[in-house]
Amino acid sequence: MAAVDAARLPVAAPSPWWRSRNALVLAVVAGMLLAFFGWRNELLWPASLTWNALSHHLDDFQTWLSNNRNVAHPSVFFRAFNGLADFLDNLVGWLTSLFFKLTWIGTTALGVLVVLRFGGRKAALGTLAAFAAFAAMGLWEPSMRTFALTFAAVALSLAIGLPLGVLAGRSDRFQRAITPLLDAMQIIPAFAYLMPVVILFSVGRGAAVVTTMIYAIPPAIRITALGIRGVPTNTVEAATAFGATRWQTLLKVQLPLARRLLLLSVNQTILFALSMVVIAGLIGGQGLGDVVTSGIYSDPALALIAGGAIVVMAIALDRATEAMAIRTDPTHRHLTESKKRRLRIFTAACAVAIGLAAGLGNAFGAGSSWMRWSAQPWLRRQVQAALDYVQNPDTFVFHITNPVGNFIVKYGLVPLQSFFTEVPWPAMVFGLALIAFLLSGLRPALVTVAMLALVGLVNEWPQGMDTLSQVLVGTLLTMLVGIPLGVWAAESRRAERMMRPVLDVLQTLPQLVYIIPFIYLMPVSLVPGVIAAVLYAAPVVIRLVAAGVREVSPHAVEAAGAFGATRAQVLLKVKIPLARDAIMLGVNQGLIMVLSVVVIAGLVGSGALGYDVAQGLNRGLFGQGVLASLAILALGIALDRVTQGRSRKRLGEMA
Amino acid sequence: MKVRVGGLAVAALVVAVVVVGSAGARANACGTVTLNEQAWAGSTANTYVVKNVLEKSLGCKVNITKVAEVPVYQAMADGKTDAILEDWGHAPQWAQYVTKQKTVVRAGPNGVKGVIGWYIPTYLMKQHPEFKTWKGLKGEESLFKSPESGSQGMFLGGDPSYQQKDQTLIKALKLNLKFVSVGAEPAQVARWTQLYKQKKPVLFYWYDPQYLNATYQVSQIQLPARFKGCLDDEKVGGPPAKFACAYPSYTLLKFMSKKFATSASPAVGVVQRFSWSNADQNAVAKMIAGDHMNPDQAAQKWIAANKAKVNKWLGK
Repeated sequence: MAAVDAARLPVAAPSPWWRSRNALVLAVVAGMLLAFFGWRNELLWPASLTWNALSHHLDDFQTWLSNNRNVAHPSVFFRAFNGLADFLDNLVGWLTSLFFKLTWIGTTALGVLVVLRFGGRKAALGTLAAFAAFAAMGLWEPSMRTFALTFAAVALSLAIGLPLGVLAGRSDRFQRAITPLLDAMQIIPAFAYLMPVVILFSVGRGAAVVTTMIYAIPPAIRITALGIRGVPTNTVEAATAFGATRWQTLLKVQLPLARRLLLLSVNQTILFALSMVVIAGLIGGQGLGDVVTSGIYSDPALALIAGGAIVVMAIALDRATEAMAIRTDPTHRHLTESKKRRLRIFTAACAVAIGLAAGLGNAFGAGSSWMRWSAQPWLRRQVQAALDYVQNPDTFVFHITNPVGNFIVKYGLVPLQSFFTEVPWPAMVFGLALIAFLLSGLRPALVTVAMLALVGLVNEWPQGMDTLSQVLVGTLLTMLVGIPLGVWAAESRRAERMMRPVLDVLQTLPQLVYIIPFIYLMPVSLVPGVIAAVLYAAPVVIRLVAAGVREVSPHAVEAAGAFGATRAQVLLKVKIPLARDAIMLGVNQGLIMVLSVVVIAGLVGSGALGYDVAQGLNRGLFGQGVLASLAILALGIALDRVTQGRSRKRLGEMA
Repeated sequence: MKVRVGGLAVAALVVAVVVVGSAGARANACGTVTLNEQAWAGSTANTYVVKNVLEKSLGCKVNITKVAEVPVYQAMADGKTDAILEDWGHAPQWAQYVTKQKTVVRAGPNGVKGVIGWYIPTYLMKQHPEFKTWKGLKGEESLFKSPESGSQGMFLGGDPSYQQKDQTLIKALKLNLKFVSVGAEPAQVARWTQLYKQKKPVLFYWYDPQYLNATYQVSQIQLPARFKGCLDDEKVGGPPAKFACAYPSYTLLKFMSKKFATSASPAVGVVQRFSWSNADQNAVAKMIAGDHMNPDQAAQKWIAANKAKVNKWLGK
């Protein structure tokens, strides 16, 4: 093994510097710059190459849908959607009313004791703290509504996602067929399909569950498939050799061995579902999403507090599911008969205690929600004071943030933006295709050309290029932040422990919420959008890089150590080069995540495609929203193929 | 283990079922009315004042939904939302839901006059009286320079969800301005109020009624007068010259779901008769959004001070 790993160490390329890939890419960029200065603003995407009628066709489709749905006796097709919406709405409604009927005492007992029974004392304390936080924030009722909605959406997403994930793990053809669909579900902003969802499912909790599921199912499928594929082939072959059927292999070998990733998929599905809470608020999802969306206009402090409640819920659920997964892992626990009996008694005691708590709560009129005392007014004043402070032009903070923000915009983002939007379009298409070819090969280059053509075709060329320039800046900054922090987290346990809660908060705080302080801090256009993108994408990059560096074969590290390499040398010459795949995966995921912030960025001054999508929903311009989303998807596919191709090509080089 | 999870669930279920049954509400003539509150503070003011009138005077139970501006039309078509009390103009939705499908019906104006236009801080207007009309901007655009706009002046655009035509208007008036969007209203407000606090020049899309107008002194720049056939919807397209006119003044409208409108609920009449002035709405909106008063309390305070108006809505 050690010999193989050592052989994979990169060796210096023998070709002269001017033929190296980086030099060639730089030459292409220089050519594009020449075109920019020579023919600036002269060759914009021609109107003859756009398909303007498409937008009207889409609008007509939506009108048709609406006109056929809103009649006295709609067809079976529409009634089926209606029935499904009612079912989902009732499901969430039933859960919500269960929590309220239990009273706040009973609900707390239910949550804490279930976690105590399956996850242990530490996790149960965390859950209790979460309930206390909802009460202290004065957001008990909306929190319970959001929890019910999330619970239903996650359960249904897993019911659909896990079987499909197993299928995708076992069949290459199915995986290939479903991947573009999953890409689309994750990249197309929810704003674009909110209106058709509302026409088919009406507004309310049913529609909110559907919207949440569209976003939460893909990670369930992807991670499950990854888990099934990760089971060593020789184990599967051995099982088959012993005469196990396909089902037996699946149930007794593949699923148990993929347990860790299956649990990760449950965990990620929960987090993805919670990230849709705010969007769900726009279509009657109720709960914390409502508080955020209405607060953002008239009470930003309250919106921030509600965002805090979403984070508390996400972290509590994350820790509780993790603890339950570890505690119930069959490979780690060996139950004797007496232990089993004790656990059974414990379960019964918990059930009785929950019933008792609910009964007492009702008997003493505890009320469905905690309403008595809350720190909300105090919290609101503090948060508002902080917001007022950062916004006040008389403080020293302002004298730092204002020039910095202005400088970044004036000398960084605006020139880059005008380069991307004003360079002659043939130079842009040809140049980007050449770069794609140099970086990852012919196929990604062809995909790039096709996707850029699509952006032009749907009449979103300037906005698309504007977005592309911002996505590239966002990704670059994300990598500058993410790679060093990821390496640090891999090298130091303490650093990792310190970073984890911060990363959790950043990943679960709704983007619309953490952007609030920044629009007050630097209310110039473009900057808050880039910050939002970096904050959202960096945690994933940090985690991927850390995992990659940590998983570098210990043999290679030992071998280097044996040759007398210092710790820094081991890190720079062995670990990081060997973790290149993980880092490239980080670039790839970072790009996709930055792209998924585009719409939110449009709402805080980045304009471009995100603005068009948001306006599409808010002004009822369905066609415009869909086309701008298609352009986002096209950029996503091109960027994904180019960065994926690069890691694949590198793998080939190294082999 | 599955059995034990099941046991826990069954126990919880039994508790739930035992507890159910205390919910039976008193039925009355009015029943339940669902109003939709929109994101801006004026809408909150409308919604809570009507809510409190319906609850206190007619004994209705009022639910509040918070659905976005366009999806709410489908909500009314489905009867999930009974009424919206302030709409700033959604012609395509009116054509679709009101005229064609007849699932949503008009409930008249809410009395508030919506004004949209180009605004500057009043201190700037005092220094530059020539800014009273758009012509005064010509040649002085660079006063509004910003990091985003290069050598041009910056025009700070409005929330993407609002009615606007400024990009075309700037082109039609041949002004050396660059349209800059800082995004949704909170971001736009953050930007111009920060410049306002520094007493710097800023030119922006703004409107009235708006509770912030009670805190910040802003003045409107007169745009060219409206002429026959002048256009307002950028998205429909047309020659820029046709857009060279001021925004129309908006009569803000109320809408009801057909289901609610044809019901016998006494609340229908109140929704139809509800009408108040810009000053009334601004007063309540400022209590809620500016002073962070509980919306129900703010509404009740206004109702107590304006009995005559409320009685008119009640048809007394």
